[in-house]
Order: sequence, then C-alpha cells, then structure tokens
Amino acid sequence: MSGPLKMLGISGRSVLLAASVLACLAALASSLRAAPGRSLGVVYADGRQTEDVPLAKLDKDSDELFICAYDLARIFKATKFWNPGNRKLVLRIGNHRYMFTIDTRVVVVDETPTLLRMNVRYDENSIMIPLEFITLVLAPRSVEKIALDTNRLLLSIGSPEYNVTAIGIVDDKDGTRAVLSMTEELLYHIDSDTPGILRLKIYGGRLNPLRFTLPEGKGLLNRVRAEQMERDAYLFFDVKKSVLRYRVEFEGEETGTAPAGDVKAPKKLVLFLERGKLPEIPGADFAGKKMVEMLDEGAQRKIIEPVRKIAVDPGHGGSDIGRMGASGAKEKDLNLQIALMLRDRLMEELGVDVVMTRTEDVLVPLDERVEAANTAGAQLFISIHCNGWFTSDAEGFEVFFLAPARTEDEERLGRDENASVAFENQNLTDEGGDIDFILWEMVQNEYLNESSDLAEMIQREMSKALGIRNRGVKQTGLRVLKGLTMPGVLIETAFLSNPKEERLLLSAEFREKIVEGAIEAVRKFQSRYAGKG
Amino acid sequence: MIDVNIGRSIAIAVAVLMVIVAAIYLVPRLRMKAPTEVQKVSEEMRAVTIFFGDEGADAFVSETREVPVAQAFEDQVKLVLAEIITGPQDSHKFSAMPPGTELIQVFWVEDTQTLILDFNNAFTANHPGGSTGEYYTITNIIKTVSANFPQVARVQFLIEGKAVESIAGHYSVDKPIDVKKWR
Repeated sequence: MSGPLKMLGISGRSVLLAASVLACLAALASSLRAAPGRSLGVVYADGRQTEDVPLAKLDKDSDELFICAYDLARIFKATKFWNPGNRKLVLRIGNHRYMFTIDTRVVVVDETPTLLRMNVRYDENSIMIPLEFITLVLAPRSVEKIALDTNRLLLSIGSPEYNVTAIGIVDDKDGTRAVLSMTEELLYHIDSDTPGILRLKIYGGRLNPLRFTLPEGKGLLNRVRAEQMERDAYLFFDVKKSVLRYRVEFEGEETGTAPAGDVKAPKKLVLFLERGKLPEIPGADFAGKKMVEMLDEGAQRKIIEPVRKIAVDPGHGGSDIGRMGASGAKEKDLNLQIALMLRDRLMEELGVDVVMTRTEDVLVPLDERVEAANTAGAQLFISIHCNGWFTSDAEGFEVFFLAPARTEDEERLGRDENASVAFENQNLTDEGGDIDFILWEMVQNEYLNESSDLAEMIQREMSKALGIRNRGVKQTGLRVLKGLTMPGVLIETAFLSNPKEERLLLSAEFREKIVEGAIEAVRKFQSRYAGKG
Repeated sequence: MIDVNIGRSIAIAVAVLMVIVAAIYLVPRLRMKAPTEVQKVSEEMRAVTIFFGDEGADAFVSETREVPVAQAFEDQVKLVLAEIITGPQDSHKFSAMPPGTELIQVFWVEDTQTLILDFNNAFTANHPGGSTGEYYTITNIIKTVSANFPQVARVQFLIEGKAVESIAGHYSVDKPIDVKKWR
C-alpha cells in the first residue's frame, strides 16, 4: 500500500473511531439515564469474548429497548455506511443489506421493505435501533443462529453445534448415575482433586452450560455445574460424603450392550456413584478396575506397563539457541544442563533407563527427537525448555501436553482411504500431506489421559519445589509431542525473558529444584500406574 | 527419511510456484486498482476484532477496531493484520509480533481457501523465543484471521517467500495451518 493511501486510511479511521466512541458513550449515558443498568449480554460462538452492551429505553410509555447502531454493527461484524444527507444507514450483515431511515419504521432488506413496530431514532448523536430488529428481521435471514432471550436480555450468536446434548440423573439402591448424551464418543478425564467435587473434563466437548447446571441434584448428587471453555467442556459434580467410589464409562463399554452398527445413536457417558454403607452384593463386579476410591488423587484409566525407560529431551541446540537471556544465558545450554541432571537422578533414584535426544550442543530436528524416543521404546517423554516472552513481565513455569486431534480427522481419514495410497506413490497432493499430519497427531491421542496426568503431577510437584508462579497445565499442538507413542510432556521451567527468573535459572540450586519436582512427579506417576495391570 | 525429504522439497516447490503465479497475477492488478480505491477506503469502515496477548502472557485479549473497507480481499487482510503489528491501544495488552515484523505480501488461494502470509525475516530472526512467545505470535494471527475472515480455512506462513519449519522452534509452520484445528 502506498504512503498517501495509508495516511488517508489512518486519518479516516481515527475520525470514525472517535465518532463511534463518542456515539456509544452518548448512548451509554442516555441508557443509564433512561433505564439504569439495562444491558445486553452477548455470547459469541466464534471465540470473541462475552460482553455487555448498553441498551437504552427511549420512551416513557414504551418498554421497547434500543441498541446503538455502532454496537449492533460490531456484534454482527457489519459493514456500515451512514449518509447524513438523507439520514439513511446501511448495514451489510452476511449476504443481506439492511437500510434504515431515521424516524421511520421501515427497514429495507435488500430490495424489500419490512416494518418494525418502533421508529429508528437519532438520539444524542447516535443511531438507535429497536432491539426487536434482531428477532424480527435479522434472525430469520441469518445463516448464523441468532437467539435473543428478551427476558434475560441475553443474545447468543452462532450457536456451535452441541456434541454433548443432555444430562439425566437416575438414582437407585446401588447408587446414582449421571448420564450424559453425546453425539460422538469424546475423550474425557475425571479427577477429584477437590474433596467432594468430581471434575469431568470432556475434550472437544460443546454444551449449553445453562442446560447442564442443575442447582438441585438427586440421590448422591448435590448439584451439577457446567462450564464451556474455548476448547473443552467441564462438569463439576458436587457429591455427597456417602459416595464410596465412582467410575465413568461409555454405556456398553464393558458389557458390549451398546447398539452395534448404529453410529448415529447417541453415545451415553455414565458417571456412576456407588452408595456407601451397603453390603457388597456377591457377584456384582463393582470392584472392577475402573472403580475408583473417592478422594484418590485421580481416576484410574488405561493401565500401562510399569515405567522402565524414559526419554529426556533438552530443547533446541546447535545453531538453534532458543531464548537468550538479558545477561547472555542461552536456553539451549540451560536445557541441556537440566536434562543431564534429570537423566542422572532418574537412573540413580528410580532405577530407570534414560534415552537422551541429545547430550551435546547439536541441532536435532523435532521429528528426529520423536523418532528417537519411539524407536528406543521409551514409556515417558519429558522435554525441557526455558520460556520467553516479549517483555520482562511474564513469569512462572508451565507444563504442556498435546491438544488432541479432533475426531473429525478420524472420519476424514476413513473417507480418504485413497489419499493414503496417493501419498505412498508420492503423488503429493495437499490431501496427502494432511493425512500424514493427522496420523501423527492421532498417535498421541491414545496417551492423552496419561500425558495429562503426568503434566498435572509435574505441575503440582514443581509448584511445591520451585516457589515461582505456577502458570498451570496447558494444551497446545507442540511439534515435539506429536507422534510420540508414549505419554509426553514439555516443561517450560521459567522465563529467561524475566531477569529475576534468568538469575534463578543460572543457579544450580534452582535447576536442582526443577529436577527434584520432575523426579517426584515421575515417582508418583509410576506408583499410580505401575503394577495395577 | 528420503520420502520425507522429497515430500518437503515438492511442498516447498509447490508453495514457491503458487507464490510466483499469484504474484504475477496479482501485483499488476493491485497497482492498477490502488488510485481508485482511495475514495472508498476513507468512507466505508468495517469493525474488526484484533487479538493480542495480555502483558503477562496469561490470556488472549481482543480489541475492536475500525479499518477501511478495501476492495481486494488481500488488501483487507493486510489492513487487518497491520493492526496486530501496530499493537494494542491499551498498555496492558501486548502484541506478540517480533520487533521489525512486516507483512510483505498477502495471497489468497481461493480453491483451497488458503491465505498465504509472507513476512519479512525479522518475524523469525527477532522472535524472542519460548513456547509461550511463539504460541501467542501464531495464535494472535490465526484468531484474528478466523474472527474477521471466516472464508479462510488455512493459513500458510512464508518468510520472504519461503516456507520455514518453525518460527521459534516449537510449532510446525511448514504446512498450512488449519484455522479450525489450530490449538
């Protein structure tokens, strides 16, 4: 873009921006005056943050609420054009063009006029549109789903397709069952870190939290609370003290009673809470390996072999320095020092074999690190890094494991069987490249629960050992964790971009604490999984 | 190993070819259009959502901006992404763009719904590193593209016309990133 054009663009932009800010401030002021506290909660499905938008009540005699045109345009990502000469406003939303004329009830949609019940108004320098425009005119023509709850003043845009659709609670003499209906079998993780609360995380779950939050439970369930996070859904089950044990499984997972062949039938994930103080019923196999004692550190899931070999991966190396600290400390060197210390202590204290992805200052490509761990038959993979941020503000440690590949990928793989043949023939199409990529991600899916457990244990132990901020467990698509045929985590030990933490990383004492935390976590991981098969 | 290398070279060759073809096709067109665009650009504005990190790298935060409506899709993308590079208005937010970053060219491959973003060398060379830093750099761009341009299914990063393995050594960017699946 040329210089003058850019300058024009910026000045035009700032003028309009200033005008819109002023207009909305005016609308806010008038709404505060007319109807204190009236605002519209807007919930987006596209990842935008939920927001409160001010509404205005402009007539004494009518309850109709108005929304500032600028807010409306932002919410629906409209292109807008305002012609003060003929007092017409055009909003282009999706494939339609909506033309409003001030002080009339007419909205021309594309070429067709429709009528609102109230006039569009010009009030204190802003164009105010009756809220009913959303329900009467916009919603029926929108490709995205638009739902406006006028009682609670809640607007939701683009409802994601829910894949967790219903919850039911059944109570009988054995215990209480919470049954979740899903459109597909999603991965899940349950733990009971908080006494009395079972936290069920559904990977890739999408649900309506309002429908899943039950203030009053039944039987052994006091209440249920649901939260929809950006990627995953969480359910918190508040359970009674008399719960002896619990288990979670898909209906028919053990007995094979699920309707076979019907892939469209809803999948039912059942949380079973066993009632305490009842005699064990002979023959009833509640003590199966999936049954978990309450307030155990977490749920027991897939049983893996005792850990005998661990891969340790010092990040970066050679020409890839990684992050450089203010005093010149190089991430690649610190990673190696920590990793070598971890290797020695794992071998000495836990008696396991250790495979290193590098022991020197050399550059090893990420896929070769994965390959080395896989071919050595390692049962755990721990990657060691130091973190970096753009300013010195960020601080603390965090532990990563791989975000799961979505099940859509599996479906796609099934459909594109021919693509893998094409790939073998080196007919490299885009599709072929994708398939390769998806397979890598899916390999680690199988170890997701274990990776998540290991990450949480490391986080907990390092939090005790380090005394710096605990940034928590994160899930992203880190390349070095893709394709691992074992549980894998990446530890970002501290920020080299933070001078205080750089000093810590340069002290052997602090590095020992990092190793201490990791060792303790592996010990815990071993004792949770080892010998239970 | 050999297969992978061949695959990679073919992929790079295809990417480079696409860029060349797109450049031959687009560059003259853009130049021709520029003068007539000026009027339109200053009148019609579009609200866009720009993603940043917060100062402590704890969360993604967004700002709503007004940018001029451009006629060519590529120009619109450039105008929007320039806002990330310009940075946030609020001092508690932080743009995860390495110093000196410039978006040289934008190409849109409609058939595969792939947006190609060609950055200058500073984008990787000046990157401060760290998983967190790199994650925010990529995600701010992906989130901003996805929030404002729903038609984009994939984003391919190039550095001065070439595909690279990674920006700071933690995430693969050698292939197009699927916008919906990026995490």
